[in-house]
Amino acid sequence: MPSLSLFLSQLFNGLTAGLLLALISAGLTIIYGTLGVVNFAHGALFVVGAYAGYAVYGGTQSFVLAVAAGALVALAVGLILERGLVRLFYDRPPEDQILVTFGVAIILVEIVRGIFGGANLSVPTPEWGQGVEHIGSLIYPRYRLETLFISAGTLLVLYLLLFRTKLGLIVRAGIEDSLMVSMLGINVRRAFFVVFGLGAMVAGYAGTIDAPIVTLQPDMGFRVLIESFVVVVIGGIGSFQGAIVGGIIAGEILSLTAIIDPSYSQVMLFVAMALVLIFRPQGIMGVEGRE
Amino acid sequence: MLGLIAVTGWLSWPEDKTTHVLPVARIPNGRWVCAVHSGLFKGADFYLTQAKHRSSAPTRFQRVSHTPGDDAMNDRKNNDDTVDQPPRRLVLKGLASAAGAAAFGVPLFSGMSFSAMAQSQAKSPIGNFPAGVSGNTVFGGLTVDLTGPYSAQGEEQRNGYELAVEQINSGAAQMRRISPLTKKGVLGKTLKVQAGDAETKPNSAVQLATRFITNDKAMLIAGSTSSSVAIALENYCNRERTIYMAAISGSTETTGEKCQRYGFRPCYYAYMTCKALAPVVAKELGRNRKAAYLIPDYTYGHTTTTQFKEFSAKDGGWTSVSEQVHPLGATDFSSYLINIANSGADTLVVIDYGADSVNSIKQAKEFGILNKMKVVIPYMSSFLANSLGAEIMQGVYAATNFWWTMAENPKYPGAKEFVDAYMKKFGGKRPQDSAFVAYLGMALWADGVERAGTFNPPDVIKALEAGTKREGPTGPVWFRGGDHQAAVNFPIVRGKKPADMRNKDDFFDIVEVVDGASMLPPLELFGCKLGEYV
Amino acid sequence: MSPTSTHSAVRRGLPEILVLLGLVVAPFLLPYLGFSPGLMTRILVWGLFGIGFDLLFGYTGLLSFGQAAFYGTGGFTTAYLLTSGTANILVALLAGAAAAAVAGVIIGYLTLRRSGIYFAMSTLAFGEMFFFLENSLLHDYTGGENGIAGVPLPELSFGFATIHITSGLSMYWFVAVFFFVGYLIARRIVRSPFGAVLRAIRGNPKRAIALGHSTQHYKLTVFVIAAIYAGVAGGLLGVFQGFMPPDAFAVDTSAQLIIQTVMGGVATLLGPLLGATIWLYVFNVVQGVAGIGAYWKLILGVIFVIVVTVFRFGVGGALIRLFSRRRSRATSPVATPGSAVDRELLKLDIVPAVASDQPVLETRGVTKQYGGLTAVDDVSFSLAEGELRGVIGPNGAGKSTFFAMLTGELPTTSGNVIFRGRDITGIGVTAVCQMGMSKSYQINQLFEHLTVRQNVAIPVLARQRGRFKLDMLRGMHRMQGLDHQVEAAVALVGLAHCIDSPVAELAYGEKRRLEIGLALATGANVLLFDEPLAGLGPEERVLVVELLKSVHKRRSIVVVEHDMDAMFQLADRITVLHEGRKLAEGTPDEIRASAEVQTAYLGGVEEHEPA
Repeated sequence: MPSLSLFLSQLFNGLTAGLLLALISAGLTIIYGTLGVVNFAHGALFVVGAYAGYAVYGGTQSFVLAVAAGALVALAVGLILERGLVRLFYDRPPEDQILVTFGVAIILVEIVRGIFGGANLSVPTPEWGQGVEHIGSLIYPRYRLETLFISAGTLLVLYLLLFRTKLGLIVRAGIEDSLMVSMLGINVRRAFFVVFGLGAMVAGYAGTIDAPIVTLQPDMGFRVLIESFVVVVIGGIGSFQGAIVGGIIAGEILSLTAIIDPSYSQVMLFVAMALVLIFRPQGIMGVEGRE
Repeated sequence: MLGLIAVTGWLSWPEDKTTHVLPVARIPNGRWVCAVHSGLFKGADFYLTQAKHRSSAPTRFQRVSHTPGDDAMNDRKNNDDTVDQPPRRLVLKGLASAAGAAAFGVPLFSGMSFSAMAQSQAKSPIGNFPAGVSGNTVFGGLTVDLTGPYSAQGEEQRNGYELAVEQINSGAAQMRRISPLTKKGVLGKTLKVQAGDAETKPNSAVQLATRFITNDKAMLIAGSTSSSVAIALENYCNRERTIYMAAISGSTETTGEKCQRYGFRPCYYAYMTCKALAPVVAKELGRNRKAAYLIPDYTYGHTTTTQFKEFSAKDGGWTSVSEQVHPLGATDFSSYLINIANSGADTLVVIDYGADSVNSIKQAKEFGILNKMKVVIPYMSSFLANSLGAEIMQGVYAATNFWWTMAENPKYPGAKEFVDAYMKKFGGKRPQDSAFVAYLGMALWADGVERAGTFNPPDVIKALEAGTKREGPTGPVWFRGGDHQAAVNFPIVRGKKPADMRNKDDFFDIVEVVDGASMLPPLELFGCKLGEYV
Repeated sequence: MSPTSTHSAVRRGLPEILVLLGLVVAPFLLPYLGFSPGLMTRILVWGLFGIGFDLLFGYTGLLSFGQAAFYGTGGFTTAYLLTSGTANILVALLAGAAAAAVAGVIIGYLTLRRSGIYFAMSTLAFGEMFFFLENSLLHDYTGGENGIAGVPLPELSFGFATIHITSGLSMYWFVAVFFFVGYLIARRIVRSPFGAVLRAIRGNPKRAIALGHSTQHYKLTVFVIAAIYAGVAGGLLGVFQGFMPPDAFAVDTSAQLIIQTVMGGVATLLGPLLGATIWLYVFNVVQGVAGIGAYWKLILGVIFVIVVTVFRFGVGGALIRLFSRRRSRATSPVATPGSAVDRELLKLDIVPAVASDQPVLETRGVTKQYGGLTAVDDVSFSLAEGELRGVIGPNGAGKSTFFAMLTGELPTTSGNVIFRGRDITGIGVTAVCQMGMSKSYQINQLFEHLTVRQNVAIPVLARQRGRFKLDMLRGMHRMQGLDHQVEAAVALVGLAHCIDSPVAELAYGEKRRLEIGLALATGANVLLFDEPLAGLGPEERVLVVELLKSVHKRRSIVVVEHDMDAMFQLADRITVLHEGRKLAEGTPDEIRASAEVQTAYLGGVEEHEPA
């Protein structure tokens, strides 16, 4: 029987890991929720951001600059992608959108490999994140504790951006009836352009935030993509709040099942996803009837 | 092999109530092969077996010579069914008349006839021998990981192979230390190699090997960074009768339960390192420690854990207090590390390799675990230090295949030569363990061929199995005949303090260079059965 | 057999004959291009794997990222049985296929609950789950990361003879037999009524459901078929290379399959084979080029993106297009204006209506709420046998929502819908259609990528075969009376002159009539028309009004329409909806005279009058 303190420690860890997962998945759900495009290049953008952050961090020793660089490079890649490619696919079936973003993911990852090589790279924890914190009996890395607030803060900012600003309003209206919005003299295409860039930027940003915790590897994006899928399927794809709920649930599953048998924690994630698909296909926060 | 199907056809003749149909194949030098019918329908009529079944299975095919001077056939009449002339009433239907189902059937049978024919020839082709060595060059296929999780190791291996090839072809003095018979090339033929991407996927590796063997007539396949690739390749190469030289492979099975006659492993592996490392860490870190294990969830992870537990219990009285089995390729180790932090362990044994070991150790550091626990890594890729940095690596005990500071020890002149040559060729980069194993494997193969005096695979294998000691960069090295495991020395290293580093690559002190031969398990321990030569 | 039927049989079988020839000739020609028997065999394994996937994705439109799960399941089952010596090759392959089918039923049942992207993502996750299962849970059977090595070469025992297959060319023939059989079966499937329904699901799943096909059953069946193909291909992979690799389960395998299929051309059956050839060629050749070897995947990625973006039908699709364009130029369409409408109508089968006094269609207090908004509020309504009812009301009156509830497309929030005395509330649009009620849509819901004939065949098939039938090996040309029914329906809506044209080439008015034709061809005796005149010019309007009149002779009809003149001219009675409630009901004259209606609705009628 595991001790209470271990249980509480894992519960807390699940929350931190979960919010980080929510942050990682946020870009995916923003793009889908507004444009209806499932961005299979999401993981690759995460990788692009993480590597850009690594390069800048190595050059400037400033983690803040690194995060900015990660976000901006991913934003730039996202904007180029939208204008050059994804735009052509808004009117095509979702399967085509999946295929093209999937192809882009391969290209981005191989470019990263070409530039940085295939070796594992590690990003040192920023100075203000080094060391550990004692929370009750739990010894917890300071940086992870900080990601709890970084993730929560970022998600709040994104929420306000999408639900409390004019851009958010246009975008959400644009999904419902893009013709009507254009007739009102609002350029929906431009709004879409901005949103795709925003989603890409959030992915890159999450990549740099996550970088001091994990090891950089060009192929890491795929796992990120799959975990994001699990999160958004559980939470309800396209629902911003769903990503947060899904992220926390996924984090807790990973953490709590590890007390019993860590080798099954990953499988449990997929089992949870299967259960959601059976009993609530639209996801926990998803809207019924939305495909 | 392909050329053999140049002419094929059917032999058929009516007899009693039955029509007997015999597949016939003609090979370019004029020999005919066919399956012969014996008597009425009792048992197998087209019994074309593989060579290795030959002694046990009834061989009911025969070959019929139409070409003068085909002595080999007549020498080897090895079954009582054989007739020298085809029956008078034989009707030979050529390809032209064989339409529909016949057209389909002809190559089917002729394809099978190859193996039938091969076995009854005096110096029959084995693998790509002799076709692969008919010219001035000989080809080696490199199955290295150019993409995928071990692409860094793959690139190193390619470098190591290329260095060895360069030295073999120029007959360099450094190469002659390992392969004293080498002049220029291998048996006078220029060695050509090509690297392909195995992607760390067994299936891609086998696919690649198929191309090297069939299209490029490879006489050697070499390279691996994971045991799953190594095992897949040795199995495949064994079937194709082509020698396979693994590179990095830590699993016991590679030269244990899944060993193959055509597969060789020039690096140390889990059992050897556990046996070597346990007494060293018991001495250095103390007895009766409580160890927590981080175990990737696959065969290698489980067997290595078992072995390290056994040896550390025996040599140091260590106990296991926590075993965190996690999925291969996990990125977030926090929940496992919290379990370990709560386990009361004072030593962290990291069974992980590659990205998993980087992630787990880095995160262990964040969780403050490294302040309380010592770290032991039984099988380490030396890239780990570059990825983690000296701050984290200091005080870590690990075994690896090679460490470049061996070059500074006058006991290992070969190491100095290897490191110097490597740095010269690759712009000052110091070789890691992957480059070393690749280099060594290629050199040992070349030596085996030179000693055999032929490329004929069984002869080369026998030469390699002979156990002739050669002087490698890490001292004496040879293959054990019974399981094809190299008796190779390897260093146990300890991470340096950042302040003590003389240059950016100076991560480790060498604690001990292990005598590989004494670390080998008893031959019968892991149930290796090598199989037939042909 | 007459010469013509022989001719058409040969013509139908032409692809099969060509594939057979190709398979036979390949080992004699391709070695000169650097294809070894091993490479050709590998391409065939991918090709066979891909046929199943093409049925799933190319024909049915279901993009699965989890095919590796079945490839691995089948492969490991086969390899395990062979290495443990418990089964011979054919039994082992069969067992592998069966295991894959079981996995297909389970995963399919769970993932097919959603479509589109949800389906793609959940199959991806299930594929990953299977990878973990293979590696961890079933490790003792699968060899974990080492896979199963030493799969024996196949021996085929026929009692009197045993054939030993070796690696190399004889393995090619062995695998080629499976590929060819797989191809034959797939060809039968795509040419069967079953296959026609699959195409319909891909083109417009919503309409396929509305026309009376239980698409969920079709999807699950084709999912299992694809799993079986994957299972057999996986089994052959292990046998072919003597080794069953654990990465057969990896998501990369699914991804490679998708890329190959798309590059080669979807909905061609041979596209995956072509794509595999391209992939393996790039893998084998580009890698050998010094300097760019490590970038082979990047190069493939670029090719793939280009194909998806500008070359949508892949290499195979482009070839077929080229070929069929040439052929269609040769045969010019024969123009036969549909005049004798009445006569044709007699030929079209209709679900027999049981004569009774009770209303044909009735609603009792039907209500639909979306959150706080009530779109339809407590509407009760009754349609008599043979009646033509008009439903009118201003925009936002809830007409379309009301209609959708009548046919079961939308569940009601409260209230009941009764059809010929049976409560059909909540039984779903497919069942409603099968009972004999169908609807044409305000916005065309056609199968755009099919021809007029193929479009109309979809509802006729639902009529003749019911909501689901496993007749996947039956030829379409063997369906009794199918052509007759299709041609009758097409003639009825006056499209006989363009019966073999793709829908995409039709004029808007023609599409509008086809929309009606689809509803008619279901054989429904109660028809609902949602703004059948929407967007039509004056001449087309006349045509459609005539059509509705003639259709009315044997059917009960409800029409929602903005065109008041047409409505007053056609309808026996009119129901007026306003703000979700029933405002008035009566004969056209009564409605015209109703002061209530005038204030609420007719006041703004000028806006809706046709120009």
